[in-house]
Amino acid sequence: MLIRLKFTHLLCTVLFLLITLSVESFAHGVDDSTRNFLESNTGVQIIPFIYIGAKHMLTGYDHLLFLVGVLFFLHRSKDIFLYVSMFTLGHSLTLMTGVLANIQVNAYLIDAIIGLSVAYKGFDNLGGFKHFLGKQPNPKIAVLIFGLFHGFGLATKIQEFELPLQGLAANLLSFNLGVELGQLLALMFILLAINYWRKFSSFERFAKTTNTALMSAGFMLIGMQLTGYFVN
Amino acid sequence: METHKRSRSLVKRTIVSLVIAALSLVLFILPAEYNIDPTGIGKSLGLTVFNDKTTLPVITQQPQTAKQDSVFLVVPAGKGIEYKLTMKKYSKANYEWITNTKELYVDLHGEPKGDITGYFESYAIATTNQMKGSFTAPFEGSHGWYWKNNSDNDIRIQLVFDGDYIIEGLK
Repeated sequence: MLIRLKFTHLLCTVLFLLITLSVESFAHGVDDSTRNFLESNTGVQIIPFIYIGAKHMLTGYDHLLFLVGVLFFLHRSKDIFLYVSMFTLGHSLTLMTGVLANIQVNAYLIDAIIGLSVAYKGFDNLGGFKHFLGKQPNPKIAVLIFGLFHGFGLATKIQEFELPLQGLAANLLSFNLGVELGQLLALMFILLAINYWRKFSSFERFAKTTNTALMSAGFMLIGMQLTGYFVN
Repeated sequence: METHKRSRSLVKRTIVSLVIAALSLVLFILPAEYNIDPTGIGKSLGLTVFNDKTTLPVITQQPQTAKQDSVFLVVPAGKGIEYKLTMKKYSKANYEWITNTKELYVDLHGEPKGDITGYFESYAIATTNQMKGSFTAPFEGSHGWYWKNNSDNDIRIQLVFDGDYIIEGLK
């Protein structure tokens, strides 16, 4: 009993830290000191770009919500590995090509699609697609496709700064590596929390509510980003 | 029948999530992010502060001849504050202050040292959003400003001053 209590405390602290982390960067992706660095940077900077990548992922509530949705009903390590790989493949592809080929996409529209990915996964987890379409659209392909959009979202954040071409590929690779590191760290916390919760009967009882909330959060992101698109 | 029930449940959950999202957007997110506040609730909750463009216009500092002091003060809505300097008889102070938005009632005055009757002498009384000037203390004592904010919003002031005094500060 005592051990369980302590673990819950630890979990609460961790979750609280994650929440405060996200709130800190609530604006639009990049905070002031990072902005300052990116705008004045020249040449190859491996570690700083890894750090920015990791920070962006860890504080990017939209990416995290999507991961929560994807991992919600996965408990076999093989599945988790597979799905996370699909997501990683997707976003790495578009992050790299998006920046290197200088593909310009509107950040608000991309972020709205990322919001859609969250709502999609929430509805999918509720069994909505399976029920209405008779068959669940291949979830692995869905994660891959949405991964592509998440990658474009990451690319727009980097493109905002019109980084010098010199050392761009190396910096980008570092950023990408950082994103994966951040994702790994986030996954650890998310899995820890979900797997712990899974042991209790409340998991089953609140699974629907949680995914409804997830869907709602996705809709909020869509609304917020689309408004941003029309306002600016 | 079972599928019908399930459809109903799914549609219900989707609608609930949409309604919650729409409410959060209209009430909290849009006011905070874009200053779009159709209900006015965002403003009354203070969420539109992030978009407050009325940041303090900074008083351009003159070439420094002597030591200059500068403070930022807040006059809460409906309240008054006092900022005072201790000055000797015939010592002088220059000042300039400006608010971030609206005008304030101001009374620049002095109270003689050791006085307990509540006597004070006003040097300037006005309702304005900025003022510049100087004064010479007619007696030794506590001299400074009383600002009264009659509006519904807090008003910020930047006060810049120099001269011969010891700062007492906010009263």
